[in-house]
Amino acid sequence: MPEAQTGKILRVHVSEHDHYNGKPLYEAIVEKCREMKIAGATVFKGMEGYGETAEIHRSHLIRHDLPILITIVDSESQMRKLIPVLDEMLDTGLMAMSDVEIMRFQRTSPSRHA
Amino acid sequence: MLSKGPAKRVTIFVNEDTRHGTEPLWRAVFDLLMHKRAAGASVTRPWIGFGSHHRIHSPEMEATMEHLPVRIEFVDTPEKVEELLPTLYDLVTDGMIDVQDTTVVKIAQKEKKPEPKAHHIQKTGTARLMRIFLGEADKWHGEPLYEAIVKNLRMEDIAGATVYKAILGYGAKGHTHKGQSLFHLSHDCSIMISVIDSAAKIQRAVEIVDGMLQDGLVVISDVDMIRFAHPSPLMEVTDARSANG
Repeated sequence: MPEAQTGKILRVHVSEHDHYNGKPLYEAIVEKCREMKIAGATVFKGMEGYGETAEIHRSHLIRHDLPILITIVDSESQMRKLIPVLDEMLDTGLMAMSDVEIMRFQRTSPSRHA
Repeated sequence: MLSKGPAKRVTIFVNEDTRHGTEPLWRAVFDLLMHKRAAGASVTRPWIGFGSHHRIHSPEMEATMEHLPVRIEFVDTPEKVEELLPTLYDLVTDGMIDVQDTTVVKIAQKEKKPEPKAHHIQKTGTARLMRIFLGEADKWHGEPLYEAIVKNLRMEDIAGATVYKAILGYGAKGHTHKGQSLFHLSHDCSIMISVIDSAAKIQRAVEIVDGMLQDGLVVISDVDMIRFAHPSPLMEVTDARSANG
């Protein structure tokens, strides 16, 4: 079993219609995470929700504006670098960070598939 | 009361025509188990058999129809078996008794469903939250890995697990998983399974996942649990067990 390391989980709540430089904000955030070599980022789409503006986000026939959750896991030092960058990108939205123990599983090596 | 986990299996072999007083010995053994409230017992007749005399007993031929074998079997807690064994030892004057260690994997009682209208009770306390990140295309013996993990967690009585499908993500393998595009349906999205239970149960869950996960990430954090549960006989058993150990 891989040894547990302490780290942070950052959850970023945004909206599906939020954009950054012409592309969906969540895509821009994931790209930025890759660029900064953050261990991993996963985007989930909610079914319904509301946030800061108290506007209900719900799936509509023509207008899609659903809540988006981006989950990012890495060490505390990496998070400290990432948060100011995301802060720049986020117009409205919410970031919440908590402590986690991380266990990384990586057993398939390229040589095994060769 | 018999519950999931280690137990003992007792098998008793006797002759159909061995008697205990006025009744057959197998019936006396069965009645004893019934009277002493053993968790359950069944009496079966093997098709053919032989004992210490090396003579075949089978209902196939008239000559061998005497002394047909009967097998009485029951599974119960080690304590209950210990309580019953001296009496069984005394009772079985002709035959064999053997005890084996066994594990009860599942006891399901259909008729004891909780009342649908029972009020829920709120339980609070500290617990652990485990998130497992894996790929949708990951397989476990041919079935999706996330399904296999949930099944295994369920078998181990882990309180609950929820599977989420992501629309975008990257991780251990380095490539981007993207799904729900307008023109193609990807079948390799990121998947997250979240599991919440006590620290000890989450430790057990980590061991299960450890044996199954090839590439992926497991993160664990402390959470405050607020649980709404319906009081049911089954839950009381689980609670009593976790309180004991």
